[in-house]
Amino acid sequence: MIYSLNAEEMAQLYERISKEFETYGTVDIQGDITFSRIESYDELRIGRSDKPPKEFLIGRNENVLVFTEPNKKAVFGVMSCDLKGFYIMDKQIYGKDPFYTARRDNTVFINYVCTEPCETGFCSSFGGPLLNDYQIQVINYENDKYLIYADDAYKSFFEGFKQASKEEISKVEKLMHNFNMKQKKHEVEGIENRIKWNSKLWDEYAKICIQCGACNYSCPTCYCFDLNDVGEERFREWDSCILAGFTKTSAGNPRESLASRLRQRFYHKFVYYKKSKGEYLCTGCNRCTDDCPVDIEIKEVIDHDYNNE
Amino acid sequence: MTTIMNSFKPHEKRIARKIKETTDIFTIEIDMESNSYPGQFYELSILGIGEAPISAASSSSEKLKFTIRSIGHVTSKIFEQDVIGVRGPYGNYWPFKEYDRILAIAGGIGIPPIRALIHELEGKKDLWVIYGARTPSDLVYKYEFDQWRNKANLILTVDRGDESWNGKVGLVTKYIPEIPDLKNMAAFLIGPPIMMENSVKDLLKYGLQPENIFLSLERRMECGFGVCGHCNVGHFYVCEDGPIFRYSEVSNLPELFL
Repeated sequence: MIYSLNAEEMAQLYERISKEFETYGTVDIQGDITFSRIESYDELRIGRSDKPPKEFLIGRNENVLVFTEPNKKAVFGVMSCDLKGFYIMDKQIYGKDPFYTARRDNTVFINYVCTEPCETGFCSSFGGPLLNDYQIQVINYENDKYLIYADDAYKSFFEGFKQASKEEISKVEKLMHNFNMKQKKHEVEGIENRIKWNSKLWDEYAKICIQCGACNYSCPTCYCFDLNDVGEERFREWDSCILAGFTKTSAGNPRESLASRLRQRFYHKFVYYKKSKGEYLCTGCNRCTDDCPVDIEIKEVIDHDYNNE
Repeated sequence: MTTIMNSFKPHEKRIARKIKETTDIFTIEIDMESNSYPGQFYELSILGIGEAPISAASSSSEKLKFTIRSIGHVTSKIFEQDVIGVRGPYGNYWPFKEYDRILAIAGGIGIPPIRALIHELEGKKDLWVIYGARTPSDLVYKYEFDQWRNKANLILTVDRGDESWNGKVGLVTKYIPEIPDLKNMAAFLIGPPIMMENSVKDLLKYGLQPENIFLSLERRMECGFGVCGHCNVGHFYVCEDGPIFRYSEVSNLPELFL
């Protein structure tokens, strides 16, 4: 269903949701937009968070030997590029990882759709910020006007609220169209066929990469983790395919060179996942590049002319 | 509310029997029935040290057995334990039900899933086994070889013989041409990458179809069920798409024999 709310009704919606769910949202901590527990709708500050919200579903550091049923959580302020990450990761890990699955089932993400392109993101190259998959999707398209796409599972929260008119919906569609026109396009489609195993890019990146793993940490679709025992506990820790130990076994290491590991990261995103799950493992958030201390650019990997190196 | 099973949590199992096979290889028998087919693997663990993916050495009707080379953090300590963590089985198994004539080639510590196969088939199919090790003292399951010969045609070879050895010497590939009517067989390969690569080359040369050659791959399978992301070979995860792969489906993957 598609609803039309004003700011006061948005606060009411928050109240209704907060009766059933523990509420979280993006807050402004000294200029950093960060996800945090919130107690009132006023605390919410919409903006792109420094880190993606994947920690709501994949613990950064948690004992996997003890499983506890998760609390029901509502997370306000999730950007489309981040929300999309969950739907993409679902295809590999939902239903298999018991922690991820239980949290996914018990969490409602309230997606706030950008109406203006951000400085570095390129989500329109992946279809733009208006998503087909969502639970509750909010577009604040004019000062006091909110268009909300809500999955029927949440319709009880919208009782008494107005359904959106055709005019309102077309206004938002136009806005989204303009968003996509304004943002520079990168030709993602077909990258799996253009990219080259022996491209010079991998060697060039290997010369400058300092193997910090920030690209993996800041990525809304990187799901890999390591398991490490400490005493009586076995910890899941987010892992990075850029690190040398990622593939090391007692028989040796299939990716000893840094160039081969950098290539793996981009091949997983643009070739392997596309082949196995039909999707690119990237949403165009650009955090990997924004957070890279040596400016390795994911857009370059997409735009590069592999045939004329 | 549905109770969710924590797939990360192993079962604590007693080691019922330990056999020292060589200076650094040992076999353990777990106090539980196998519930796996030859080729599948388990995650074995010692709490506080970690987990390691190990293929079952037992057939589906035996007690669960593993033959382990003590080389890593976990594998060098397992032999000292009375109780270990066991979870699994994971992955697929040798497609032995689909073929009547099978050539199994195992190198070094790749032999356990072939031992499982020999006991699974119980001599009911035309099974040929080429098993190669570096030296005679690196061969495991010596106490079972007579029994194996009742169930399969066994070719043992070592890279370097010694004064006690009067058997075959040379790489496993040297003995492939001895197998009769080779080109109509299925081949199951497991061992060091270079051994598998050379075996595949020769098998193709002798006319085996790429669809009938199967490889067991080894990568860093940490979770075992497709979520940790460590064991990919191209777009496959070895833990859930393998560990057994049809050669025709992986032949063009650039990291296949690393």
